[in-house]
Amino acid sequence: MAASTRLQVRAMVMCLLCLLSAPSLVAARSYGLEATAVADGVWVVEGTTENFSPANGGNIVNTGFIETDAGVVVIDTGPSRRYGEALRALIARHSDQPVTHVLLTHHHPDHVFGNQAFPEHTLYMLPRGRELLARDGPAFAENMYRLVGDWMRGTELVVPPNTLSPGVLTVGTRRLRLMAFAGHTGSDLVVLDETSGVLFASDLVFYNRALTTPQTPGLARWAEELQQLRTLPFRVLVPGHGPVSDGGAALAQMADYLSWLDHALTQAARRGLSRSEVMQMAIPERFAAVAGRRYELVRTTTHLYPGYEKAALELLANPEATPGSQ
Amino acid sequence: MGRWIAVTLMLLTGLARAAALPDDPLRSPMWEYNLVRYLGDEAQVVIDDRVALKVPGFAEDSAQVPLTVDLSAFPGPIRQLVSWVDFNPVPLLFKLTPEAAQPRLIALNFRVQQATAVRVAAQADDGRWHIGSADVDAAGGGCTAPSMTAANPDWQTAFGTIRGGAFSPVPGHTRFKFHTLHPMDSGMVGNVPAFRIDDVRLHDLASDRLLLRMRLAESAAENPMFVFELAGERRAVRLWMRDNNGNLFERELALGEGG
Ligand SMILES: [Zn+2]
Repeated sequence: MAASTRLQVRAMVMCLLCLLSAPSLVAARSYGLEATAVADGVWVVEGTTENFSPANGGNIVNTGFIETDAGVVVIDTGPSRRYGEALRALIARHSDQPVTHVLLTHHHPDHVFGNQAFPEHTLYMLPRGRELLARDGPAFAENMYRLVGDWMRGTELVVPPNTLSPGVLTVGTRRLRLMAFAGHTGSDLVVLDETSGVLFASDLVFYNRALTTPQTPGLARWAEELQQLRTLPFRVLVPGHGPVSDGGAALAQMADYLSWLDHALTQAARRGLSRSEVMQMAIPERFAAVAGRRYELVRTTTHLYPGYEKAALELLANPEATPGSQ
Repeated sequence: MGRWIAVTLMLLTGLARAAALPDDPLRSPMWEYNLVRYLGDEAQVVIDDRVALKVPGFAEDSAQVPLTVDLSAFPGPIRQLVSWVDFNPVPLLFKLTPEAAQPRLIALNFRVQQATAVRVAAQADDGRWHIGSADVDAAGGGCTAPSMTAANPDWQTAFGTIRGGAFSPVPGHTRFKFHTLHPMDSGMVGNVPAFRIDDVRLHDLASDRLLLRMRLAESAAENPMFVFELAGERRAVRLWMRDNNGNLFERELALGEGG
Protein backbone atom coordinates (compact mmCIF):
# COMPACT_ATOMS: atom_id res chain seq x y z
CA MET A 1 0.00 0.00 0.00
CA ALA A 2 2.65 2.46 1.13
CA ALA A 3 4.94 1.19 -1.59
CA SER A 4 2.37 1.68 -4.32
CA THR A 5 1.66 5.20 -3.10
CA ARG A 6 5.35 5.94 -3.22
CA LEU A 7 5.52 4.57 -6.75
CA GLN A 8 2.57 6.73 -7.78
CA VAL A 9 4.18 9.81 -6.32
CA ARG A 10 7.44 8.95 -8.03
CA ALA A 11 5.63 8.37 -11.31
CA MET A 12 3.94 11.77 -11.02
CA VAL A 13 7.26 13.46 -10.34
CA MET A 14 8.82 11.66 -13.30
CA CYS A 15 5.96 12.79 -15.54
CA LEU A 16 6.37 16.36 -14.41
CA LEU A 17 10.06 16.13 -15.17
CA CYS A 18 9.25 14.64 -18.56
CA LEU A 19 6.83 17.44 -19.35
CA LEU A 20 9.35 20.04 -18.33
CA SER A 21 12.30 18.64 -20.21
CA ALA A 22 10.96 16.37 -22.92
CA PRO A 23 10.38 18.77 -25.83
CA SER A 24 13.93 20.07 -25.99
CA LEU A 25 15.54 16.70 -25.28
CA VAL A 26 13.52 14.80 -27.85
CA ALA A 27 14.16 17.44 -30.49
CA ALA A 28 17.87 17.39 -29.75
CA ARG A 29 18.23 13.61 -29.78
CA SER A 30 16.61 12.47 -32.97
CA TYR A 31 19.08 11.33 -35.62
CA GLY A 32 16.75 12.38 -38.45
CA LEU A 33 18.09 9.58 -40.65
CA GLU A 34 17.34 9.72 -44.35
CA ALA A 35 17.87 7.02 -46.95
CA THR A 36 19.18 7.89 -50.41
CA ALA A 37 18.56 5.40 -53.21
CA VAL A 38 21.89 4.80 -54.98
CA ALA A 39 20.59 2.02 -57.27
CA ASP A 40 17.37 0.08 -57.72
CA GLY A 41 16.57 -1.37 -54.28
CA VAL A 42 19.81 -0.10 -52.69
CA TRP A 43 19.83 2.73 -50.15
CA VAL A 44 22.57 4.53 -48.24
CA VAL A 45 22.14 6.41 -44.96
CA GLU A 46 24.94 8.97 -44.96
CA GLY A 47 26.47 10.37 -41.78
CA THR A 48 28.63 13.45 -41.29
CA THR A 49 32.42 13.45 -41.64
CA GLU A 50 32.90 14.87 -38.13
CA ASN A 51 34.38 13.27 -35.02
CA PHE A 52 32.18 11.67 -32.39
CA SER A 53 30.48 14.41 -30.38
CA PRO A 54 27.43 14.97 -28.18
CA ALA A 55 26.10 17.17 -31.02
CA ASN A 56 26.07 14.41 -33.67
CA GLY A 57 25.37 11.45 -31.40
CA GLY A 58 27.99 9.42 -33.22
CA ASN A 59 26.21 9.63 -36.57
CA ILE A 60 29.47 9.97 -38.49
CA VAL A 61 29.10 6.75 -40.44
CA ASN A 62 27.44 5.45 -43.60
CA THR A 63 25.08 2.51 -43.28
CA GLY A 64 22.98 0.93 -46.02
CA PHE A 65 20.35 -1.61 -46.96
CA ILE A 66 19.52 -3.73 -49.96
CA GLU A 67 16.05 -5.02 -50.77
CA THR A 68 15.69 -8.49 -52.26
CA ASP A 69 12.59 -10.55 -52.98
CA ALA A 70 13.50 -12.69 -49.98
CA GLY A 71 14.17 -10.02 -47.35
CA VAL A 72 16.29 -6.97 -46.65
CA VAL A 73 20.08 -7.11 -46.19
CA VAL A 74 21.41 -4.38 -43.88
CA ILE A 75 25.02 -3.21 -43.88
CA ASP A 76 26.12 -1.94 -40.46
CA THR A 77 23.86 -0.72 -37.65
CA GLY A 78 25.36 2.61 -36.53
CA PRO A 79 26.75 3.95 -33.25
CA SER A 80 23.92 3.37 -30.75
CA ARG A 81 20.72 1.50 -29.99
CA ARG A 82 18.81 4.66 -30.79
CA TYR A 83 20.45 4.84 -34.24
CA GLY A 84 19.72 1.15 -34.86
CA GLU A 85 16.06 1.65 -34.00
CA ALA A 86 15.84 4.71 -36.26
CA LEU A 87 17.52 2.73 -39.05
CA ARG A 88 15.07 -0.13 -38.67
CA ALA A 89 12.11 2.27 -38.83
CA LEU A 90 13.63 3.91 -41.90
CA ILE A 91 14.01 0.53 -43.63
CA ALA A 92 10.36 -0.26 -42.92
CA ARG A 93 9.37 2.97 -44.69
CA HIS A 94 11.17 1.82 -47.85
CA SER A 95 10.49 -1.90 -47.94
CA ASP A 96 7.78 -4.34 -46.83
CA GLN A 97 10.31 -7.15 -46.65
CA PRO A 98 11.61 -8.29 -43.26
CA VAL A 99 15.26 -7.84 -42.39
CA THR A 100 16.88 -11.26 -42.87
CA HIS A 101 20.61 -10.40 -42.86
CA VAL A 102 22.58 -7.73 -41.03
CA LEU A 103 26.18 -7.75 -42.28
CA LEU A 104 28.56 -6.05 -39.87
CA THR A 105 31.64 -4.89 -41.73
CA HIS A 106 34.06 -4.49 -38.80
CA HIS A 107 34.16 -4.11 -35.05
CA HIS A 108 34.36 -0.32 -34.73
CA PRO A 109 31.69 1.14 -32.45
CA ASP A 110 30.10 3.45 -35.05
CA HIS A 111 29.29 0.39 -37.19
CA VAL A 112 27.95 -2.14 -34.68
CA PHE A 113 26.36 -0.49 -31.65
CA GLY A 114 22.92 -0.38 -33.28
CA ASN A 115 22.83 -4.22 -33.27
CA GLN A 116 20.25 -4.39 -30.46
CA ALA A 117 17.56 -3.01 -32.78
CA PHE A 118 17.71 -6.13 -34.98
CA PRO A 119 16.79 -9.76 -34.20
CA GLU A 120 19.94 -11.46 -33.01
CA HIS A 121 19.63 -14.36 -35.49
CA THR A 122 19.97 -11.86 -38.38
CA LEU A 123 23.40 -10.59 -37.27
CA TYR A 124 26.46 -11.79 -39.26
CA MET A 125 30.15 -10.98 -39.06
CA LEU A 126 33.50 -12.37 -40.24
CA PRO A 127 34.95 -14.71 -37.57
CA ARG A 128 37.95 -12.50 -36.82
CA GLY A 129 35.79 -9.38 -36.60
CA ARG A 130 33.56 -11.17 -34.14
CA GLU A 131 36.55 -12.02 -31.95
CA LEU A 132 37.78 -8.44 -32.09
CA LEU A 133 34.34 -7.14 -31.17
CA ALA A 134 34.09 -9.47 -28.18
CA ARG A 135 37.56 -8.35 -27.08
CA ASP A 136 37.37 -4.58 -27.67
CA GLY A 137 33.60 -3.98 -27.51
CA PRO A 138 33.35 -3.20 -23.78
CA ALA A 139 36.14 -0.61 -23.96
CA PHE A 140 34.61 0.89 -27.11
CA ALA A 141 31.23 1.16 -25.36
CA GLU A 142 32.76 2.98 -22.41
CA ASN A 143 34.52 5.36 -24.75
CA MET A 144 31.33 6.03 -26.73
CA TYR A 145 29.38 6.90 -23.59
CA ARG A 146 32.13 9.38 -22.77
CA LEU A 147 32.28 10.87 -26.28
CA VAL A 148 28.61 11.19 -27.26
CA GLY A 149 26.84 10.94 -23.90
CA ASP A 150 23.12 10.41 -23.55
CA TRP A 151 22.60 9.27 -27.17
CA MET A 152 24.07 5.97 -26.03
CA ARG A 153 21.44 5.37 -23.35
CA GLY A 154 20.37 1.73 -23.29
CA THR A 155 23.06 0.69 -25.76
CA GLU A 156 24.64 -2.67 -25.07
CA LEU A 157 27.22 -4.69 -26.92
CA VAL A 158 25.72 -7.49 -29.03
CA VAL A 159 28.22 -9.87 -30.59
CA PRO A 160 26.65 -11.45 -33.70
CA PRO A 161 25.92 -15.17 -33.28
CA ASN A 162 26.47 -15.93 -36.99
CA THR A 163 29.74 -15.95 -38.88
CA LEU A 164 30.28 -15.18 -42.55
CA SER A 165 32.75 -16.65 -44.96
CA PRO A 166 34.03 -14.91 -48.08
CA GLY A 167 32.21 -15.87 -51.27
CA VAL A 168 28.81 -15.26 -52.81
CA LEU A 169 25.81 -14.80 -50.54
CA THR A 170 22.59 -15.26 -52.52
CA VAL A 171 19.50 -13.67 -51.01
CA GLY A 172 16.46 -14.06 -53.26
CA THR A 173 17.63 -13.06 -56.71
CA ARG A 174 20.49 -10.87 -55.47
CA ARG A 175 24.09 -12.04 -55.54
CA LEU A 176 26.27 -10.36 -52.92
CA ARG A 177 30.01 -10.94 -53.18
CA LEU A 178 31.54 -10.94 -49.70
CA MET A 179 35.26 -10.20 -49.40
CA ALA A 180 37.48 -10.31 -46.33
CA PHE A 181 40.19 -7.65 -46.06
CA ALA A 182 42.27 -6.47 -43.11
CA GLY A 183 43.81 -3.06 -43.83
CA HIS A 184 41.63 -0.96 -41.54
CA THR A 185 41.12 -3.18 -38.47
CA GLY A 186 42.48 -6.66 -39.16
CA SER A 187 39.03 -7.83 -40.29
CA ASP A 188 37.16 -5.72 -42.81
CA LEU A 189 34.20 -6.98 -44.79
CA VAL A 190 33.57 -5.52 -48.23
CA VAL A 191 30.25 -6.25 -49.96
CA LEU A 192 29.72 -5.98 -53.70
CA ASP A 193 26.10 -6.22 -54.83
CA GLU A 194 26.74 -7.86 -58.21
CA THR A 195 23.15 -7.21 -59.26
CA SER A 196 23.36 -3.41 -58.95
CA GLY A 197 27.13 -2.81 -59.03
CA VAL A 198 27.10 -1.04 -55.66
CA LEU A 199 30.26 -1.60 -53.65
CA PHE A 200 30.03 -1.20 -49.88
CA ALA A 201 33.73 -0.61 -49.19
CA SER A 202 33.15 0.23 -45.54
CA ASP A 203 36.17 1.74 -43.77
CA LEU A 204 38.70 0.50 -46.30
CA VAL A 205 37.67 3.75 -47.99
CA PHE A 206 37.33 7.14 -46.32
CA TYR A 207 36.40 9.92 -48.75
CA ASN A 208 36.93 13.59 -47.85
CA ARG A 209 37.48 12.33 -44.31
CA ALA A 210 40.83 11.39 -42.81
CA LEU A 211 41.29 7.68 -42.29
CA THR A 212 41.54 6.29 -38.74
CA THR A 213 44.31 3.94 -37.70
CA PRO A 214 43.99 2.59 -34.14
CA GLN A 215 43.68 -1.04 -35.28
CA THR A 216 45.35 -1.08 -38.69
CA PRO A 217 47.96 -3.78 -39.27
CA GLY A 218 49.86 -1.19 -41.33
CA LEU A 219 49.46 1.42 -44.03
CA ALA A 220 51.29 -0.67 -46.65
CA ARG A 221 48.83 -3.55 -46.25
CA TRP A 222 45.93 -1.13 -46.47
CA ALA A 223 47.32 0.46 -49.66
CA GLU A 224 47.73 -2.99 -51.23
CA GLU A 225 44.11 -3.88 -50.52
CA LEU A 226 42.95 -0.59 -51.96
CA GLN A 227 44.58 -1.67 -55.25
CA GLN A 228 42.49 -4.84 -55.14
CA LEU A 229 39.29 -2.81 -54.67
CA ARG A 230 40.12 -0.86 -57.83
CA THR A 231 39.85 -4.02 -59.91
CA LEU A 232 36.29 -4.83 -58.80
CA PRO A 233 33.40 -4.33 -61.27
CA PHE A 234 31.41 -1.62 -59.43
CA ARG A 235 29.47 1.42 -60.61
CA VAL A 236 28.80 3.06 -57.24
CA LEU A 237 31.16 3.16 -54.27
CA VAL A 238 29.86 3.59 -50.72
CA PRO A 239 32.74 4.52 -48.39
CA GLY A 240 32.49 3.93 -44.65
CA HIS A 241 32.76 7.67 -44.14
CA GLY A 242 32.15 10.43 -46.68
CA PRO A 243 30.02 10.88 -49.79
CA VAL A 244 28.82 8.17 -52.18
CA SER A 245 30.26 8.48 -55.69
CA ASP A 246 31.30 6.50 -58.75
CA GLY A 247 34.44 5.79 -56.73
CA GLY A 248 37.21 7.01 -59.03
CA ALA A 249 38.11 10.16 -57.12
CA ALA A 250 37.48 8.49 -53.75
CA LEU A 251 39.90 5.64 -54.43
CA ALA A 252 42.48 8.01 -55.92
CA GLN A 253 42.31 10.31 -52.89
CA MET A 254 42.49 7.41 -50.48
CA ALA A 255 45.51 5.88 -52.23
CA ASP A 256 47.23 9.27 -52.40
CA TYR A 257 46.59 9.98 -48.71
CA LEU A 258 47.77 6.56 -47.60
CA SER A 259 50.95 6.76 -49.62
CA TRP A 260 51.68 10.34 -48.45
CA LEU A 261 51.16 9.30 -44.82
CA ASP A 262 53.39 6.24 -45.13
CA HIS A 263 56.11 8.23 -46.89
CA ALA A 264 55.91 11.21 -44.50
CA LEU A 265 56.19 9.01 -41.41
CA THR A 266 59.11 7.08 -42.92
CA GLN A 267 60.98 10.29 -43.79
CA ALA A 268 60.25 11.86 -40.39
CA ALA A 269 61.66 8.82 -38.61
CA ARG A 270 64.78 8.87 -40.82
CA ARG A 271 65.34 12.52 -39.89
CA GLY A 272 64.95 11.71 -36.19
CA LEU A 273 61.84 13.84 -35.64
CA SER A 274 60.11 13.61 -32.27
CA ARG A 275 56.48 12.51 -32.02
CA SER A 276 55.16 15.98 -31.28
CA GLU A 277 57.07 17.39 -34.25
CA VAL A 278 55.40 14.81 -36.48
CA MET A 279 51.98 15.69 -35.08
CA GLN A 280 52.60 19.28 -36.20
CA MET A 281 54.12 18.54 -39.61
CA ALA A 282 52.69 20.17 -42.72
CA ILE A 283 49.85 18.35 -44.50
CA PRO A 284 49.90 18.97 -48.27
CA GLU A 285 47.43 21.50 -49.62
CA ARG A 286 45.92 18.90 -51.97
CA PHE A 287 44.29 17.26 -48.91
CA ALA A 288 42.44 20.45 -47.93
CA ALA A 289 39.10 18.68 -48.58
CA VAL A 290 39.95 15.84 -46.18
CA ALA A 291 38.04 16.57 -42.97
CA GLY A 292 39.68 15.82 -39.64
CA ARG A 293 43.18 15.45 -41.13
CA ARG A 294 45.10 17.20 -38.32
CA TYR A 295 43.15 15.43 -35.59
CA GLU A 296 43.71 12.04 -37.20
CA LEU A 297 47.39 12.80 -37.82
CA VAL A 298 47.81 13.28 -34.06
CA ARG A 299 46.09 9.93 -33.47
CA THR A 300 47.96 8.13 -36.27
CA THR A 301 51.30 9.43 -34.98
CA THR A 302 50.43 7.92 -31.60
CA HIS A 303 49.38 4.58 -33.14
CA LEU A 304 51.95 4.11 -35.89
CA TYR A 305 54.94 6.44 -35.57
CA PRO A 306 56.60 4.34 -32.83
CA GLY A 307 56.88 1.50 -35.36
CA TYR A 308 58.50 3.80 -37.95
CA GLU A 309 60.85 5.13 -35.26
CA LYS A 310 61.87 1.64 -34.26
CA ALA A 311 62.70 0.79 -37.87
CA ALA A 312 64.82 3.94 -38.22
CA LEU A 313 66.87 3.36 -35.05
CA GLU A 314 69.62 0.79 -34.78
CA LEU A 315 69.95 -1.73 -32.02
CA LEU A 316 72.78 -0.56 -29.76
CA ALA A 317 75.00 -3.21 -28.23
CA ASN A 318 76.03 -2.95 -24.62
CA PRO A 319 79.76 -2.13 -24.79
CA GLU A 320 80.34 -3.86 -21.42
CA ALA A 321 78.82 -7.07 -22.72
CA THR A 322 80.98 -7.28 -25.84
CA PRO A 323 83.52 -10.11 -25.44
CA GLY A 324 87.09 -8.89 -25.45
CA SER A 325 86.17 -5.30 -24.74
CA GLN A 326 87.87 -5.35 -21.34
CA MET B 1 55.89 43.36 19.32
CA GLY B 2 58.24 40.79 17.77
CA ARG B 3 55.19 38.75 16.84
CA TRP B 4 53.65 41.66 14.97
CA ILE B 5 56.81 42.21 13.03
CA ALA B 6 56.86 38.55 12.05
CA VAL B 7 53.23 38.66 10.93
CA THR B 8 53.77 41.86 9.00
CA LEU B 9 56.82 40.38 7.34
CA MET B 10 54.85 37.28 6.37
CA LEU B 11 52.10 39.40 4.91
CA LEU B 12 54.58 41.52 3.02
CA THR B 13 56.37 38.45 1.66
CA GLY B 14 53.05 36.96 0.67
CA LEU B 15 52.08 40.14 -1.15
CA ALA B 16 55.47 40.48 -2.76
CA ARG B 17 55.33 36.83 -3.89
CA ALA B 18 51.85 37.25 -5.33
CA ALA B 19 52.88 40.41 -7.15
CA ALA B 20 56.01 38.87 -8.62
CA LEU B 21 54.32 35.90 -10.29
CA PRO B 22 52.65 36.59 -13.63
CA ASP B 23 49.12 35.33 -14.24
CA ASP B 24 48.90 31.83 -15.62
CA PRO B 25 47.92 32.04 -19.31
CA LEU B 26 46.14 28.68 -18.82
CA ARG B 27 44.46 29.61 -15.51
CA SER B 28 45.35 26.37 -13.74
CA PRO B 29 44.73 26.37 -9.97
CA MET B 30 48.07 24.57 -9.56
CA TRP B 31 50.12 27.36 -11.17
CA GLU B 32 51.52 29.10 -8.10
CA TYR B 33 51.79 25.99 -5.98
CA ASN B 34 53.88 24.10 -8.54
CA LEU B 35 56.04 27.13 -9.40
CA VAL B 36 57.02 27.46 -5.75
CA ARG B 37 57.34 23.71 -5.33
CA TYR B 38 59.69 23.17 -8.28
CA LEU B 39 61.40 26.54 -8.75
CA GLY B 40 61.47 27.74 -5.15
CA ASP B 41 60.06 30.68 -3.18
CA GLU B 42 62.37 33.25 -4.61
CA ALA B 43 62.00 32.33 -8.27
CA GLN B 44 61.69 35.18 -10.74
CA VAL B 45 59.26 34.03 -13.38
CA VAL B 46 58.35 35.31 -16.85
CA ILE B 47 56.11 33.80 -19.50
CA ASP B 48 58.03 33.24 -22.70
CA ASP B 49 56.88 31.44 -25.86
CA ARG B 50 60.48 31.17 -27.02
CA VAL B 51 60.48 28.24 -24.61
CA ALA B 52 58.36 26.41 -27.17
CA LEU B 53 56.46 23.52 -25.66
CA LYS B 54 54.89 21.17 -28.20
CA VAL B 55 52.31 18.72 -26.88
CA PRO B 56 49.16 17.55 -28.70
CA GLY B 57 45.88 19.17 -27.66
CA PHE B 58 44.56 15.78 -26.59
CA ALA B 59 46.10 12.53 -25.45
CA GLU B 60 45.24 9.67 -27.79
CA ASP B 61 47.13 7.40 -25.37
CA SER B 62 47.28 8.85 -21.86
CA ALA B 63 50.21 6.58 -20.98
CA GLN B 64 52.33 7.98 -23.85
CA VAL B 65 51.85 11.69 -24.49
CA PRO B 66 54.67 13.22 -26.51
CA LEU B 67 56.36 16.39 -25.35
CA THR B 68 58.98 18.43 -27.19
CA VAL B 69 60.74 21.48 -25.78
CA ASP B 70 62.21 23.53 -28.58
CA LEU B 71 64.71 26.16 -27.39
CA SER B 72 65.98 27.11 -30.84
CA ALA B 73 64.38 30.56 -30.56
CA PHE B 74 65.60 31.11 -26.99
CA PRO B 75 68.56 33.50 -26.81
CA GLY B 76 71.54 32.53 -24.76
CA PRO B 77 72.43 29.53 -22.67
CA ILE B 78 70.27 28.02 -19.96
CA ARG B 79 71.23 26.83 -16.50
CA GLN B 80 68.39 24.35 -15.98
CA LEU B 81 65.24 23.01 -17.56
CA VAL B 82 62.36 21.76 -15.39
CA SER B 83 59.10 20.24 -16.61
CA TRP B 84 55.92 19.21 -14.78
CA VAL B 85 52.31 18.16 -15.43
CA ASP B 86 50.01 20.23 -13.19
CA PHE B 87 47.37 17.64 -12.29
CA ASN B 88 49.41 14.44 -12.16
CA PRO B 89 49.68 12.70 -8.77
CA VAL B 90 53.41 13.51 -8.85
CA PRO B 91 53.57 16.40 -11.31
CA LEU B 92 57.34 16.43 -11.90
CA LEU B 93 58.51 15.06 -15.25
CA PHE B 94 62.21 15.96 -15.34
CA LYS B 95 64.95 18.34 -14.26
CA LEU B 96 67.72 18.78 -16.79
CA THR B 97 71.09 20.39 -16.23
CA PRO B 98 73.33 21.24 -19.17
CA GLU B 99 77.01 20.66 -18.46
CA ALA B 100 79.40 20.87 -21.42
CA ALA B 101 76.58 21.13 -23.98
CA GLN B 102 73.51 23.31 -24.37
CA PRO B 103 70.29 21.54 -25.38
CA ARG B 104 68.40 23.05 -28.31
CA LEU B 105 65.58 20.53 -28.27
CA ILE B 106 64.46 17.85 -25.83
CA ALA B 107 61.68 15.31 -26.37
CA LEU B 108 60.22 12.50 -24.31
CA ASN B 109 56.81 11.03 -23.46
CA PHE B 110 54.83 11.53 -20.27
CA ARG B 111 51.79 10.02 -18.61
CA VAL B 112 48.67 12.03 -17.93
CA GLN B 113 46.01 11.31 -15.34
CA GLN B 114 43.41 13.89 -16.47
CA ALA B 115 43.10 17.03 -18.58
CA THR B 116 45.90 19.30 -17.41
CA ALA B 117 48.35 22.09 -18.09
CA VAL B 118 51.92 21.03 -18.89
CA ARG B 119 54.90 23.28 -18.10
CA VAL B 120 58.49 23.69 -18.97
CA ALA B 121 60.68 26.24 -17.22
CA ALA B 122 64.06 27.29 -18.61
CA GLN B 123 66.39 29.16 -16.27
CA ALA B 124 68.41 31.79 -18.13
CA ASP B 125 71.92 32.80 -17.19
CA ASP B 126 70.61 35.73 -15.09
CA GLY B 127 68.68 33.27 -12.92
CA ARG B 128 65.25 34.19 -14.24
CA TRP B 129 62.84 31.38 -15.17
CA HIS B 130 61.14 31.49 -18.58
CA ILE B 131 57.98 29.41 -18.72
CA GLY B 132 56.31 27.71 -21.67
CA SER B 133 52.88 26.09 -21.12
CA ALA B 134 50.38 23.97 -23.02
CA ASP B 135 47.06 22.29 -22.27
CA VAL B 136 46.43 18.63 -22.96
CA ASP B 137 42.99 17.05 -22.81
CA ALA B 138 42.78 13.44 -21.69
CA ALA B 139 40.27 10.75 -20.83
CA GLY B 140 42.72 9.92 -18.07
CA GLY B 141 44.19 6.94 -16.36
CA GLY B 142 47.71 7.21 -17.77
CA CYS B 143 49.30 7.22 -14.33
CA THR B 144 47.25 4.39 -12.88
CA ALA B 145 47.16 2.04 -15.86
CA PRO B 146 49.37 -1.02 -15.38
CA SER B 147 52.55 -1.05 -17.41
CA MET B 148 52.18 -2.65 -20.85
CA THR B 149 55.76 -3.85 -20.74
CA ALA B 150 55.35 -5.98 -17.64
CA ALA B 151 52.12 -7.47 -19.06
CA ASN B 152 54.12 -8.91 -21.94
CA PRO B 153 55.55 -12.34 -20.98
CA ASP B 154 58.69 -11.65 -23.03
CA TRP B 155 59.54 -8.39 -21.34
CA GLN B 156 62.31 -9.73 -19.16
CA THR B 157 64.36 -10.84 -22.15
CA ALA B 158 63.70 -7.53 -23.90
CA PHE B 159 64.28 -5.47 -20.74
CA GLY B 160 66.99 -2.89 -21.26
CA THR B 161 67.01 -3.23 -25.05
CA ILE B 162 68.18 0.13 -26.39
CA ARG B 163 67.89 1.45 -29.92
CA GLY B 164 69.39 4.71 -31.05
CA GLY B 165 70.09 7.07 -33.89
CA ALA B 166 72.14 10.20 -34.51
CA PHE B 167 70.96 12.91 -36.89
CA SER B 168 71.99 16.37 -38.00
CA PRO B 169 68.72 18.24 -38.62
CA VAL B 170 70.41 21.65 -38.88
CA PRO B 171 74.08 22.27 -39.68
CA GLY B 172 76.01 22.70 -36.46
CA HIS B 173 73.48 20.84 -34.33
CA THR B 174 73.38 17.14 -33.56
CA ARG B 175 70.35 15.18 -32.53
CA PHE B 176 70.53 11.92 -30.59
CA LYS B 177 67.55 9.69 -30.16
CA PHE B 178 67.29 6.73 -27.78
CA HIS B 179 64.57 4.20 -27.06
CA THR B 180 64.81 1.92 -24.02
CA LEU B 181 62.56 -0.95 -23.03
CA HIS B 182 61.87 -0.39 -19.35
CA PRO B 183 58.54 -0.63 -17.45
CA MET B 184 59.18 2.68 -15.64
CA ASP B 185 56.73 1.72 -12.87
CA SER B 186 56.04 4.90 -10.97
CA GLY B 187 55.14 3.13 -7.71
CA MET B 188 51.63 4.60 -7.84
CA VAL B 189 49.79 1.64 -9.37
CA GLY B 190 48.39 -0.97 -7.00
CA ASN B 191 51.12 -2.88 -5.20
CA VAL B 192 53.70 -2.50 -7.96
CA PRO B 193 56.81 -0.94 -6.42
CA ALA B 194 58.60 1.92 -8.14
CA PHE B 195 60.95 0.59 -10.80
CA ARG B 196 62.10 3.31 -13.11
CA ILE B 197 65.08 5.00 -14.69
CA ASP B 198 65.67 8.20 -12.72
CA ASP B 199 69.10 9.33 -13.88
CA VAL B 200 70.10 9.93 -17.51
CA ARG B 201 73.45 11.33 -18.58
CA LEU B 202 75.03 12.06 -21.91
CA HIS B 203 78.83 12.14 -22.25
CA ASP B 204 81.06 13.13 -25.12
CA LEU B 205 82.56 9.82 -26.24
CA ALA B 206 86.05 11.09 -27.08
CA SER B 207 86.69 13.28 -24.03
CA ASP B 208 84.23 11.55 -21.65
CA ARG B 209 83.05 14.99 -20.54
CA LEU B 210 79.52 15.13 -19.17
CA LEU B 211 77.36 16.95 -21.71
CA LEU B 212 74.07 17.04 -19.83
CA ARG B 213 72.20 15.30 -17.05
CA MET B 214 68.49 14.64 -16.69
CA ARG B 215 66.73 13.54 -13.51
CA LEU B 216 63.55 11.76 -14.54
CA ALA B 217 60.51 11.76 -12.26
CA GLU B 218 57.22 9.84 -11.90
CA SER B 219 55.38 11.50 -14.79
CA ALA B 220 57.76 9.95 -17.34
CA ALA B 221 56.22 7.27 -19.60
CA GLU B 222 57.31 3.65 -19.84
CA ASN B 223 59.75 2.55 -22.55
CA PRO B 224 61.25 6.03 -22.68
CA MET B 225 62.07 7.61 -26.03
CA PHE B 226 64.46 10.52 -25.65
CA VAL B 227 65.49 13.09 -28.19
CA PHE B 228 68.44 15.33 -27.28
CA GLU B 229 69.43 17.94 -29.82
CA LEU B 230 72.65 19.66 -28.84
CA ALA B 231 74.17 22.89 -30.02
CA GLY B 232 77.52 22.29 -31.62
CA GLU B 233 79.04 19.41 -33.54
CA ARG B 234 79.02 16.22 -31.53
CA ARG B 235 80.27 13.24 -33.46
CA ALA B 236 79.73 10.59 -30.81
CA VAL B 237 78.21 10.27 -27.36
CA ARG B 238 77.89 7.77 -24.55
CA LEU B 239 74.47 7.37 -22.96
CA TRP B 240 74.50 6.43 -19.28
CA MET B 241 71.30 5.61 -17.38
CA ARG B 242 70.53 4.15 -14.00
CA ASP B 243 67.22 2.94 -12.53
CA ASN B 244 66.21 3.03 -8.87
CA ASN B 245 67.09 -0.69 -8.53
CA GLY B 246 70.68 0.05 -9.46
CA ASN B 247 70.57 -1.33 -13.02
CA LEU B 248 73.02 0.51 -15.24
CA PHE B 249 72.54 1.01 -18.96
CA GLU B 250 75.35 2.31 -21.14
CA ARG B 251 75.47 2.67 -24.92
CA GLU B 252 77.64 4.46 -27.45
CA LEU B 253 76.27 6.22 -30.48
CA ALA B 254 78.05 8.01 -33.32
CA LEU B 255 76.78 10.16 -36.14
CA GLY B 256 76.97 7.95 -39.23
CA GLU B 257 78.62 8.80 -42.53
CA GLY B 258 76.55 11.47 -44.22
CA GLY B 259 73.97 11.16 -41.38
ZN1 LIG C 1 36.19 1.81 -38.75
